Amino acid sequence: MTDTLLGILHMSIFPGGVFALALGFFFKGLDRRLEARLQRRVGPPLIQPWLDAAKLLTKETMIPKTACRQAFLLAPVFGFTGMAVCAAFIPIAGVYNGLFNMGDLLVIFYLLPIPAMAIMLGGSASSSPFGAIGFSREMLMMLAYETPLLMILLSVAMLVGKGLAGGEWGAEFSLLKIVAWQQENGSLGLNPSMIPAFIAYLIFLPGTMGVPPFDIPEAETEIIEGPLLEYGGPLLALFQITSALKTFVVLGLGVALFFPGVISAWWPINLLWFILKCLVLMVVSLTLVKSATGRFRIDQAFRFYITVPVALALCSLILVWVM
Amino acid sequence: MSLDTILKKLSVRSPWLFRINAGSCNGCDVELATTACIPRYDVERFGCRYCGSPRHADIVLITGPLTTKVCDRVLRVWHDIPEPKVTVAVGICPISGGVFREGYSIKGPIDRYIPVDVNVPGCPPRPQAILESVVLARSIWLKKLGLEA
Repeated sequence: MTDTLLGILHMSIFPGGVFALALGFFFKGLDRRLEARLQRRVGPPLIQPWLDAAKLLTKETMIPKTACRQAFLLAPVFGFTGMAVCAAFIPIAGVYNGLFNMGDLLVIFYLLPIPAMAIMLGGSASSSPFGAIGFSREMLMMLAYETPLLMILLSVAMLVGKGLAGGEWGAEFSLLKIVAWQQENGSLGLNPSMIPAFIAYLIFLPGTMGVPPFDIPEAETEIIEGPLLEYGGPLLALFQITSALKTFVVLGLGVALFFPGVISAWWPINLLWFILKCLVLMVVSLTLVKSATGRFRIDQAFRFYITVPVALALCSLILVWVM
Repeated sequence: MSLDTILKKLSVRSPWLFRINAGSCNGCDVELATTACIPRYDVERFGCRYCGSPRHADIVLITGPLTTKVCDRVLRVWHDIPEPKVTVAVGICPISGGVFREGYSIKGPIDRYIPVDVNVPGCPPRPQAILESVVLARSIWLKKLGLEA
């Protein structure tokens, strides 16, 4: 009973729910501001994502007559719930140990595509032709970036499993044990056999977050925001909240997998250290890329994802096997 | 102050812009793009964003003299925008027809069909004038929400 209550608390307040949302909105605001500064503009205030959400809450909700009503209304809730639960699985080294410590890497792998699925569901339920195009593009993108992600997770799990089993074959899918192992044996991001996988993870980030050059499913100039076209008001706000939570999840997962080091025994310092590492990850893989690129075509993006990051992750897998 | 009032007061700091081209010569559209793309005029500093979908829009920027062909479509898109919305007529064309006035294919001026809140005269208007219209539209939006600017 207490475990259930504690789990709900972790999903709704810390680190899922409120905390993840605040951090995600902070990341998003900083991202927009930094992008503007990189393009020598002034840029919006740091609290812009909060203002956007507040604005959307005051707007009226319009539901198209031809839309499938239940699916249209449920899709954003579905995506939000998936991400709020997923955020509770992200361990913060020295602060929080994750929801449970057995095979949570696999659970995260299954929960991560839920926002994309919610966008697909909403897009196809909106009965708009642009939604249908966005649906097919989102589907292709998902197939493209989930493949390297699976291989990255597998190479990390095999390396740590091998280390824990003392050179024998083994795979370790507990994120807590992966973090603990790295604190004893050094971060995986500095391990030569893991560097290709880390680069592949950096490439995976803009695809999963749907930012340029991979914002193909929601291209506002081609298919006028695709699946989100018919959404407005509080429902759109829920999609933005989901996206903020996802920012926290993918950055936090990257830090936990590759750089989970701690610098102090006191938890607030560790928390700040974690946030700092997330920020560096975000600037390198999202902001810099986003402010300097246009948009790929869907076939280009698909070909890119199933060649470059897959090859890099495969390199890591082979290196783990050889070394 | 109630939560509702606070939300409303905050909401005007995030105006999303939507462009409708009602048969314009593209001169004004280029100036609109200027406000977004040229660092000097950066419209994003007011929290603005050019959005692709009329469902996401708060401030509508209409350019062009409203030609016969496009009239019905403009009205349909305009009605797709959720309330509260503020309409800005950019350029001299939507105000009076400009150089196209009394042409055989012109149905404008635009305020015969749509209540216009802000007029930005000019052929094309300067980017500064467009930015000022966005700021003005924010205070009109606040009034539409029942709050004083």
